[in-house]
Amino acid sequence: MQEFKLPDLGEGMQEAEVVEWLVKPGDTLKLDQTMVKVETDKAVVEIPSPVAGRVSEIRVQDGQVAKVGDVLVVFENATSANGGSSTPLQSFTTVPAASQSANAPSPTPLAQTPTTKQRVLAAPAVRKLAFELGIDLEQLTPSNPNGRISIEDVRSYAERDRVSSKLPASLVPVGHEEAVQPASQAPSTIIQKIEQTVTPAQDERQPLKGLRKRIAEHMERSWRTIPHATAFDEVDGGELAALRETLKPIAEKRGVRLTYIPLLIRLLIPLLKEFPIFNASLDEERHEIIYKRSYHIGVATASPEGLLVPVLRNADRLTLLEIANSLEQLIEGAKKRTLSLPEVSGSTFTLNNVGSFGGSTGTPIINYPEVAILAVGRLQDKAIVQQGTVIVRPMMPLTLTFDHRLIDGAMAGAFLARFKELVENPQQLMLDMT
Amino acid sequence: MVVGDVTTAVDVLVLGAGPGGYVAAIRAAQLGRHVTLIDQGLPGGTCLHQGCIPLKALLSASERYQQTRSEDLASIGIHAEKVSFDWASMQVWKQSIVDRLAEGVQRLISSNRVEYVHGSGWFMNPQEVRVEGEHGSLRFKFEHCIIATGADAAPLSDLPYDGKQILTPEQALMMPELPEALSIIGDDYIALELATLFAPLGVKVRLYSPGEQLLYGVEPAALRLVQAGLRKLGVQITTKAALESIAERPVVISQGVCPRTTGLHLAAVGVAVNSNGGIIVNTMQQSNVSQIFAIGDCTGGRALASIAMKQAKVAAEVLSGHRVQFAPLVTPFVVHTTPELATVGYSAEEATKAGYNIVTGRFPLAANGRALTLGTDNGVVLLVANADDGTLLGATLVGPRAGDLIGQVALAIEMGATLTDLSEILYAHPGLSETILEAADGALGRAVHMLAKV
Repeated sequence: MQEFKLPDLGEGMQEAEVVEWLVKPGDTLKLDQTMVKVETDKAVVEIPSPVAGRVSEIRVQDGQVAKVGDVLVVFENATSANGGSSTPLQSFTTVPAASQSANAPSPTPLAQTPTTKQRVLAAPAVRKLAFELGIDLEQLTPSNPNGRISIEDVRSYAERDRVSSKLPASLVPVGHEEAVQPASQAPSTIIQKIEQTVTPAQDERQPLKGLRKRIAEHMERSWRTIPHATAFDEVDGGELAALRETLKPIAEKRGVRLTYIPLLIRLLIPLLKEFPIFNASLDEERHEIIYKRSYHIGVATASPEGLLVPVLRNADRLTLLEIANSLEQLIEGAKKRTLSLPEVSGSTFTLNNVGSFGGSTGTPIINYPEVAILAVGRLQDKAIVQQGTVIVRPMMPLTLTFDHRLIDGAMAGAFLARFKELVENPQQLMLDMT
Repeated sequence: MVVGDVTTAVDVLVLGAGPGGYVAAIRAAQLGRHVTLIDQGLPGGTCLHQGCIPLKALLSASERYQQTRSEDLASIGIHAEKVSFDWASMQVWKQSIVDRLAEGVQRLISSNRVEYVHGSGWFMNPQEVRVEGEHGSLRFKFEHCIIATGADAAPLSDLPYDGKQILTPEQALMMPELPEALSIIGDDYIALELATLFAPLGVKVRLYSPGEQLLYGVEPAALRLVQAGLRKLGVQITTKAALESIAERPVVISQGVCPRTTGLHLAAVGVAVNSNGGIIVNTMQQSNVSQIFAIGDCTGGRALASIAMKQAKVAAEVLSGHRVQFAPLVTPFVVHTTPELATVGYSAEEATKAGYNIVTGRFPLAANGRALTLGTDNGVVLLVANADDGTLLGATLVGPRAGDLIGQVALAIEMGATLTDLSEILYAHPGLSETILEAADGALGRAVHMLAKV
């Protein structure tokens, strides 16, 4: 009998939610057959079967969260890639198999016999903290499989313990009994009669899970941590529209659909280099500002399950055409949820095209731990006054939300002003072309 | 002086100023408590004044004398002639060490603003202690009390101590003159250390063990070296001895200790004790009466100062509102025989009994350069580890400085270190600690300075 534990999925992911089991107990699997889909903070990952064998038990059901190292599934008669069923695989623990032999009349299942003794590996300081927090270390799975329990493991376990001990109360369905009263006790008023005869509408409750849960957590963290401030402006998009019109057919000939976003990203790069504080983050623990030397631009994208922010890595080293091309693939991947972890994490600044979501403008929430997010609205013809005359220009609303701990209004104003200048004279791009 | 009964209110009252009591007092004072420390004698307790420190001082003197007499010196090229010793001067030297340490402890106590009261105390009720001392009778009302009264040598019913011919180990150390012969009854580390102390000084030492084995639980291979060492000093060892038939005098009896709790009136305040008189406490050192704590020997556990000092800190912190407990995994244990023995954690047999699947490593000191330059090849390192994941479970060291080297293994076990961890780090060369490396490598099947068993 072999157990399969949730492996390390990279990027420091400590847990994953089981989205869907593609197999059920009793199924016989082939080696590398896809058996389960799990979702981490960032992506949905398909895990193939590491053995050929029969599924005897699924330990973590659909919708449940497993930590790295938790046993997901137990196999029977498993044969690993190299053929030997006795060879323990990586991330496998061989447990004593139940005696199946007919001439061994063993009424007690041997599978329940504990394996040889193992002690909980935790340094004295960790054990001290666990006692202080009232945590039984035996209940805790170390974040690195088969490893030592760290101070962090204890802290996060305590935190989860605290949160989950509050959960049950709020999850208990309420409302039903309160509304329906026994007839004998009901006063004979009209209102009471109505309440008795009409079944009260039941609210629907759905668990917060999957991508929605991650978005909720991420937004909450950003909103709770960062003092958000927002600056508004409007830019004349006439020149940008003209440039796009010129380049679009040429790009199309080379197989790329050119939208405004790649142009705006290209314009953002020199701006971020000029104002490095906008491409930074704050290390709250060490009280240090980290100025990022790479330019990974996140692009807020709607997917059927919710907001995703695919990341255009090293955008400063890409040509306009390359940006447009990669972006198209990233957005497509986001919609299908097929992006890998590096493609949805590590951005240093985020651009949000609120125009594409409908509506003319909005106030975005910063993509933590970044320090600013720029939202561009839809280009719309508007009447503006120029040198005493009312003229019609295609205007684009700009919204810059920034972390007021690091950036002040004047700085935000200067950033926006410079961006406007670039958008209104997009030919300047030529000057910084790589 | 007859005055009314004045009650003094204190935060923390500590009964007993041994290594447990004075440490508890200082720790509680560090945490801002107002502490009064009660003891009949000077701070430092049995350990400093009658036990460990005097014994180790005299052992060290005796060992040095032994080394100068040994024919081994001649082989090194040193010719020591007319080396002699004087027991009375050794006692003076021992006392100078004790005094110096006692003065240091006293200074620590007063610098931490701990009130020191000479006298012995007992409980009047669960909040008050009466102290009878040279300045009359005092009454203290406490918020918390820590009992750290220690333990006394356990007597043998057939051979009651008389302080002259039938001695406790402490009394043996204070003998004004060395006897021609000395019989020692006991199988614990104190009995072995007394034998190691007196034999080289020309005393004919007979060691009687009531059981089959000395130092119960110690790895047999290590024990053999220790026993051979005792015999080499001229100690005559008799196991399974019929104690009542031992007529030789003087005789020292080392049969463990009894918690010193009888005069405290614990029953009157409802503090629970075990059949041996040891105060029953939880891992936070709290007795069943929540404001009364107990630490060290008076709880009836292993009588080791290291345990008392750690429990002292735990008690002081708990009663100052911290949530801590006494929970070391292992206790380093040292026997100052020649060669020295030190153990920590499980022996191979204990580990197997506890359900571990074990692997062991062994390395003889005869293959260690530093041991040879120190003039000894008598010793061994034995390591026990979990075969499944390589984590260390125990170690037994025999040889010079074993008692100091054991600290490294104790830390390794507490940290959950593996044989590979021990194998990956560097050891000063030539050094005795290399023996630990070699034993770990041996357990991993890759010792370089030893041929693998076929």
